[in-house]
Amino acid sequence: MIRRLLMTIVLVLGIFGIASSIDQSQEVHAFSDRLLERGSSGDDVIELQARLQWLGFYNGKIDGIFGYGTYWALRNFQQQWGIGVDGILGPTTKTNLVRASQYHGEWVRQQIAQGNRFTHYGNTPLAQQTKAGAGSNGGGGQNNATTVQLPVKYSERDLQLMANAVYGEARGEPYEGQVAVAAVILNRLESPDFPNTISEIIFQPRAFTAVADGQIWLTPNERAKQAVLDAMNGWDPTENALYYFNPKTATSSWIWSRPQIKQIGEHIFCY
Amino acid sequence: MKNAVYLLAIAVLALGLYSFEVRNENKQLERTIHAQYTNALTTASETLTTLHTSVNQSLLFQDQNALNTELDNIWRLSDQLRASISSLPLSREVANNWMRYIGNIGEEARLAAEKGDYEAWHEKMTVVGSNLRTLSNEWEVATSRYFEHDGDFSKWQRTINDETEQDQFKNIAQNLKTYSETDFPLTASESDWLKKRELQNLDDKEITKEQAIAVLEKIVPDLKEAAYTVTKSRDDAPYPFYHIQFVKGSRIGYADITVKGGHILSFLSERPVQEENNVSQQDIRELTERYMKNAGYEDVQIVEFRENHEAYHIATARVYGEDNAYVYPDGIQLKISKDSGELLGLNAMEYVQKETIKEQPVKEIDWKQFFRPGTFVEEERMIYTENKLFELRLCYEVIARYDNELNETFRVVVDAETHDVIKVEYMM
Repeated sequence: MIRRLLMTIVLVLGIFGIASSIDQSQEVHAFSDRLLERGSSGDDVIELQARLQWLGFYNGKIDGIFGYGTYWALRNFQQQWGIGVDGILGPTTKTNLVRASQYHGEWVRQQIAQGNRFTHYGNTPLAQQTKAGAGSNGGGGQNNATTVQLPVKYSERDLQLMANAVYGEARGEPYEGQVAVAAVILNRLESPDFPNTISEIIFQPRAFTAVADGQIWLTPNERAKQAVLDAMNGWDPTENALYYFNPKTATSSWIWSRPQIKQIGEHIFCY
Repeated sequence: MKNAVYLLAIAVLALGLYSFEVRNENKQLERTIHAQYTNALTTASETLTTLHTSVNQSLLFQDQNALNTELDNIWRLSDQLRASISSLPLSREVANNWMRYIGNIGEEARLAAEKGDYEAWHEKMTVVGSNLRTLSNEWEVATSRYFEHDGDFSKWQRTINDETEQDQFKNIAQNLKTYSETDFPLTASESDWLKKRELQNLDDKEITKEQAIAVLEKIVPDLKEAAYTVTKSRDDAPYPFYHIQFVKGSRIGYADITVKGGHILSFLSERPVQEENNVSQQDIRELTERYMKNAGYEDVQIVEFRENHEAYHIATARVYGEDNAYVYPDGIQLKISKDSGELLGLNAMEYVQKETIKEQPVKEIDWKQFFRPGTFVEEERMIYTENKLFELRLCYEVIARYDNELNETFRVVVDAETHDVIKVEYMM
C-alpha cells in the first residue's frame, strides 16, 4: 500500500516536472525581453495577439500593431488571471500568458507571408481557420514588413498613394525634398482652395506632372514611404507651402508670381 | 531579291496593322477622356445653376424647417460643385478661387443651420446670390467653346490649353478673388490662426548664421563638426528663417531656425538604420524626456508614440493649468531611431508660438446620459483643441469603448462649456 502510494507520488511529481519543463522551454522561445504596450509593433505583438486569440480574449486582426483592441484584450486577460491590470505586457503577464496559451509561430508567419485571412483560436483546428487571399476583417493577417502605424486621420491607402506621388515627382531629390513634396500634399488637404481628400488632390488635373506623364505608377521605394511617414507625423520642411516648381523648366507666369519660401534641391516651394 | 521583297511587304503590313491598332486605342482613350471631362463640365455648370437657385430660394423663407432644408441643400451642392470643379482641367488660379468661394458658401450654410443665425445668412446671401448670378453667366460664356467641337479632341485640347489666356476666364478668376475677399472676410479667429501660422508675432532679437548652428548643435550635440550649408529663406517668406543643411558621416539632413529668436522649427536627419532593435519602448520614453529637457521644452508631456519599421514617432503636447490639460495645438513631434535611440527628427513649428489661453467655464457632463448603454468611458482628461472656427476651446477628451467582440474604441472630444462634439475618432 505504502509502496503504491510512493509510486503514485513519484509519478505525479514526474508528470509535473515534465509539464513544467515544457512550460520553461516555451518561455525560452516565447517573446523577446522587451515590454510591450500601446504603440508597440512587430513580431512580439503578433505573438501577443495570437496567444490572446488562442484564449478567446482577442477577436481582431493579427497584424503586429498594439492598438486599443489588443490593449483591452490584454487587460481582460490580466483581470481574469488576477495579475495587476495595466495593459502592459511585462514579465509576469508574459509568463502567465505563455503557460496558458499556445503559439504556432511558424504557421502564423506563413499565413502572414501568404497574405491569408486567418485566425488563431485554441478551440478550432488551425487548418480550418485560414482562407487564401488577403482580408481586412476579423483575424485576417497582413505582411508585417509593410505594417506602419500612422496618425489616426490617415490610412495605409493614403500612405501608398502619397508614396507613389513622391517617388514619381521627387525620387532624385534629397530626403528633405521628398518630405517637402509630401508636406505640400498634406498642406493642400488643410487648404480651402483644394479638394478634400488625398486622392482628389493628387489626381486633380494639372496638379502634378507625375500624374500627367504616368510616373506616378512606378513602384515607390522605402525611402519615399519613409518621407511620407515623416510628413504625416508633422514634419514640413516647406514651412506651409502649397506649390512647388522646378525653376529650370517652369514656364507658367502664374507660378512664378507666387510668394516663394525656400528652395530644396531642384524645387522652389511657395504659397 | 524576291524573298527580300516578300519580307519587306510583310514588315510593312505588320507595321501598318500595329499603327492602326495604336491609333484606334488612342482614339478610344481620347473619346473616353473627352466624354468624362464633358460630363464633369456639364455637371459643374448644372450644379452651379442649382446652387444659385437654392441660395435665392433660401432668401424666401423665415420658417426654420423650410430654411434648414434649403441650407442642407446648399451645403450638399457646394460640396458636389467643389468635387466637379476639382476634376476639371482648369488653370490652377481659376480652380483654386472657385473652390474657395464655393466652399465658403457651403460652410456658411452649415454654420447658419448649426447656430440658427438666419438673419446673418439672409444679409450675406443677398449679395452672394447676386454675385453667383454674375459668375454663372460668365461661366456659361467662358465654357461655351468646350461644347463646340463635335467630338474633335485636338480642337478641344487646344481650347483647354489656351483657356488661361482667354479674357472670360481671367474675368472669372479675378471676380472670384474679389468676391471671396468682400463676401467672406476673415473672422477674428481665422485671422489669429493665420497670424500664428505665419509667426507674425515673433519679435525676438535676430540671430546670426553661426548662432543658428549653435542652436542646432545644442539640441543635437552629435552634429558638432558637421559640414554645414546655411541659406536664408526667400524674401517673400512670411517669416525669415535659416535653412541649415548638414552632412556628417552617413547623416544628411536639414534644420530650419527662425532668424528672430533662434527658435528651431524643424530638424530631420537621414541615415541608414540597422535592423537590430536595441532600444526598448521604456528607453524611448526616457530619451524623449532627456531630448526635450536638453532643448529647453520643460512644459510638455508625451501623448502618443508609434513604433515603426526604423524609428519611433513620438507626439508631445504642452501641459497647462491645474487640470494638467494637454494643449494639442502646442505640440512637438520627435523621431528617434530604433537601433541606437539617436534623435533623428524634431518638429516644433506649432510650439514656437504658443496659444493664448483664455478662461472658459466648465460644465460637468453625465457620460451615462451622453453615451448609449454599452459604451464605457475608460479614460477622461481635459484638453485644449481648436474647433472648426479655429477657436481654442477647453474640452473633455474621452476614450470610450463600445462593448462588443472587437472592443471598438473611440476618442471623443466634447467642448467643456457648450458640450458640442468637436471630434470623434475611431482608434485602431
